[in-house]
Amino acid sequence: MSGKKRFQKPGSLQPNIDDILEWSKLPEDAFEPASTQEKADFIKDRKSVSYWADAWRRLRRNKVAMVALAIIIALVIFGFVGPSVVPYTYKQQVRGSESLHPWHYTLEDQEKINAYMEEHNQTENLTPDEAVEKAKAEAEAEGKELSRIEESKIRAKASVSQQKESDEHVTEAEAAKALGIKHKAFGYSAQELQKKADGEKVFPHVFGTDDQGRDIMVRVMVGTRISIIVGVCAAIIVLIIGALYGSISGYCGGVVDTVMQRIVEIIYSIPEMLIILLLSATLKPALEQFQNSGNGPLQNLVTILGPNLISMFIAFGLLYWVTMSRIIRGQILQLKQQEYVTAARALGAKGGRIIGKHLLPNCIGQIITTTFLQIPSAIFLESFLSFIGVGVSAPLTSLGSMCSEALSGLSTYPYRLFIPAGILSLMILALNLFGDGLRDALDPKLKK
Amino acid sequence: MEQEKKNDKLLEVRDLKVSFFTPAGEVKAVNGISYDVNYDEVMGVVGESGSGKSVEAYSIIGLLQNPGKVVGGSITFEGQDMLSKTKNEMIDFRGKEVAMIFQNPMTCLNPVYTIGNQLVEALKAHDKEISKEDAEKHAMKMLEEVGINNVEKRMKQYPHELSGGMRQRVMIAMGLICHPKLLIADEPTTALDVTIQAQILELMKKLQKQNHMGIIFITHNLGVVAEICDKVSVMYAGKMVEQGPVDDIFYNPGHPYTKGLLRSMPRVDAESYERLIPIEGSPVDMLNPPEGCPFAPRCEHAMKICLQKMPPYVELGDNHRAACWLRVQDCLEEAKEEHVLPEQNTEKTEVDNHE
Amino acid sequence: MAKYTARRVLMAIVTVLVVACVTFFLMNAIPGNPWLSEKTPTQATIDALNAKYGLDQPLIVQLGKYLGNLLHGDFGTSIKMQKNRAVLDIIKEMFPVSAKVGVFALLWAVAVGLPLGCLAAYKRGTWVDSFLRVVCTIGISMPGFVVATLLLHTLCGGIPGFKVFPALFDGTPKSYVLPCLALGFYPMCYLSRQTRTAMLDSINQEYIKTARAKGLKNGKIIFKHALRNALIPVITYLGPQIAFTLCGGMVVEQVFSIPGLGRYFIQAIQNRDYPLIMGTTIFLASFIVIMNLIVDLCYKLVDPRINLSKGGN
Repeated sequence: MSGKKRFQKPGSLQPNIDDILEWSKLPEDAFEPASTQEKADFIKDRKSVSYWADAWRRLRRNKVAMVALAIIIALVIFGFVGPSVVPYTYKQQVRGSESLHPWHYTLEDQEKINAYMEEHNQTENLTPDEAVEKAKAEAEAEGKELSRIEESKIRAKASVSQQKESDEHVTEAEAAKALGIKHKAFGYSAQELQKKADGEKVFPHVFGTDDQGRDIMVRVMVGTRISIIVGVCAAIIVLIIGALYGSISGYCGGVVDTVMQRIVEIIYSIPEMLIILLLSATLKPALEQFQNSGNGPLQNLVTILGPNLISMFIAFGLLYWVTMSRIIRGQILQLKQQEYVTAARALGAKGGRIIGKHLLPNCIGQIITTTFLQIPSAIFLESFLSFIGVGVSAPLTSLGSMCSEALSGLSTYPYRLFIPAGILSLMILALNLFGDGLRDALDPKLKK
Repeated sequence: MEQEKKNDKLLEVRDLKVSFFTPAGEVKAVNGISYDVNYDEVMGVVGESGSGKSVEAYSIIGLLQNPGKVVGGSITFEGQDMLSKTKNEMIDFRGKEVAMIFQNPMTCLNPVYTIGNQLVEALKAHDKEISKEDAEKHAMKMLEEVGINNVEKRMKQYPHELSGGMRQRVMIAMGLICHPKLLIADEPTTALDVTIQAQILELMKKLQKQNHMGIIFITHNLGVVAEICDKVSVMYAGKMVEQGPVDDIFYNPGHPYTKGLLRSMPRVDAESYERLIPIEGSPVDMLNPPEGCPFAPRCEHAMKICLQKMPPYVELGDNHRAACWLRVQDCLEEAKEEHVLPEQNTEKTEVDNHE
Repeated sequence: MAKYTARRVLMAIVTVLVVACVTFFLMNAIPGNPWLSEKTPTQATIDALNAKYGLDQPLIVQLGKYLGNLLHGDFGTSIKMQKNRAVLDIIKEMFPVSAKVGVFALLWAVAVGLPLGCLAAYKRGTWVDSFLRVVCTIGISMPGFVVATLLLHTLCGGIPGFKVFPALFDGTPKSYVLPCLALGFYPMCYLSRQTRTAMLDSINQEYIKTARAKGLKNGKIIFKHALRNALIPVITYLGPQIAFTLCGGMVVEQVFSIPGLGRYFIQAIQNRDYPLIMGTTIFLASFIVIMNLIVDLCYKLVDPRINLSKGGN
């Protein structure tokens, strides 16, 4: 108890004697000492949550990230499962179905439209099929056969001329408007509509077809799949090389670290895009030679991927891991000071073990976020390269190369460019948003 | 408004309540505190991290940021109600009437502007007509007063070119340059070496005497409190558990928490066999503050009543009070000895006032 | 200061050298020789041509000669695209157009992106902030060619009757509008995001607390104290943006049919005109490195802490 030296009687000092009366009304056992159990119950313990559970909870609350995740999953299904649903392959050229729009007119409506157009047009305006028939007849008369290429050229010309604006010509669209006919969804060629009328099941060309009769939706699906695969592989390459380099550099410190960091600085200043372009230009002949040199699995892989993609991966392996290595090195430098590292060393653990078991797992939040955010960057880059023409090689298709092909026919067939462009942008956007959400969830110290 | 300065208290805080409205819920950072600060007086606010001592200081100077809000009580400065002032009025107030200096001088000075620039800015904010030369002269005088030599050169230097102690002196100069009446110092010496600490404390004492300021000195270091404070408020879990003159607190602590703090302080004059006795347990969760005394789970003398009800304040001496059921118990025993209270088993009769 | 500058300059020179060497070795890794493309010459012809162009000497000597030539401004001569015309001349002709488009694009990106980022940070949490963030996030997710083709389609006659800008590039100011808009869109969004983050970071610093405690007005706190500190990281991002704009220019040039170096470079790659590819690569790389160097030196101007330290952080 307190010393009595300057202790003054509390009772006399209380401003209000009623207080003392109040206090005296307390039950007898009020002043009994409290047991440890009662004290423990007093504190409502906040449940301790593990790091991952906490991060997941925070992620779940982030509505934007959850929507982005849903979109990503949808796109993955679109790209990987979709092509099995659609009966067309990405290479398959369906005769008679060239240059279909993503909409169609029923057979009866088409006849009405054609009749209208013939009425209003001075010159003969043939449907693509009619034009082909006419050309075939003409060719037979001369004893020649109409080649496939010429056939599709005629088709294209005929369908374009049907839609060209011109004072004399009434276009298909105007005829339809005049007759009050609305077009129906999905693209079907005349033959396919006929087949449908006969009772066969024909899968619609949801996004139409391109000049050679290839279904656009399937190509978009395959393009999506390729983009995702490229993105993920690039991110993995960056992760492995960057993590290894950064952790070794950070852990060793001293001269090793200085030299490694100098190299990183030089690599950082090299313009990566130019190197990729350079690589793809120069490696093509070398890889082609390699392809032709045999028939083993490696050669097949090279053939499938194409020299451009391989150059891109090489460039990623040589240049793009720099940011990742810097981040990991920063984390390792911080964690190196911790006592458990010293303890592990004292127990005789070797460097590699310490890095692998103690240091890297503690920066896993940063690692996951940075790796994930590499994926949209890689997809961005790949689409850019494909657009320029140094991306995936034919017959493989990518969203970027589809956009590039569609550029020339932009005014007539705008959807051929905007559908893959839209899917591409949506994919990159969703990946970016989810990556941001991941970063907020795994590293809560970063305020928005 | 005409006011007689010497009669008014400098600062009166009554039943102040501050809460943070976080996504997880309402965190009651300050749960009803009251104190006074007079001119020429240094009040120390002692407590652990998370006890709310910085939060209540921020609410005085109006620096409380979202999601924090003052939800109850009053703050009166020289008779004026601070909580009803508009934003612009508070901006005029800050730096001129009330100033605040912070803990970490390295991060608290803007690294891209010179010392001179930042000092002159403080002056110009409150005196728009002052000329650049006058302002600079004034700033240099202030720097000299805080004990910095070579002031001409220092004015042109950047914060990273000064040592820790010098930066803190600059911070003090910046805070005092408009001669405020109240200075709030939030752990100003915590980030400094012990020797520099002593110098800064000396400086603050000197300036206080010069300007007749009131100082609120926030710290968790009882040694510093003993050095500079006239009176002390001990905070725990958002409440002031004990308040009183510094000598009373040190020699006659009334609250188990204060006693615990004193016991865990390393002392030069302690015998070598005396052990430091830490306070067991950890601070309470402010999200769901419990019903009774927040210190109860860590208190070795905790009683049943401590877990059920918040203890009231018991006067222990001149301006010295503590909120503890143990003191209530003492009080009741004294009263019983003095026969102030009625006997246990009789009806309650009227009691004459004792004094 | 001098030490820092010297170090950065040295780093720049080394980088350019590395790029030149890498380019050279890659070129020499191509199987076959440059003469195979035309007709199949006889071995004697091959040997004679090799001797004439010094291709029969050891690789290191060739490298040395090549580097020496570079220093003299001799970037080789084009083999395919413009036969026997010096690469440097071709570059001199085509680069100014690309540069103009690029400079205007970057200018408007900075002039719009920085203030938008500050605005978003200042009005944090309001609908202005959310709106800007949405726009900028979408902006950095759309590859350059998407933006370019979108603009081309909507404003150049894709929508019937809505032809505001000329579709083909003809050097008039009006025809600069769309390419610069398209090219600058990504940097604008990127810079805006970075500025916002940097400003928010800056506002959360302790010295802002001090500024508030001094009684400074809100405007002064934001524009004097927070902004200057926020500019420091933003300048760091300018460097990579320059490189990006240069390369993004290739796409924009293709979409809008601008006769610039980027488009020509792509054609050179497709045509395998190796001297042209090499020369252009080295030129562009050097340009980027020099720009980065300038940006780094500017960085030092804004942040006085770099003054006396031994070199960047």
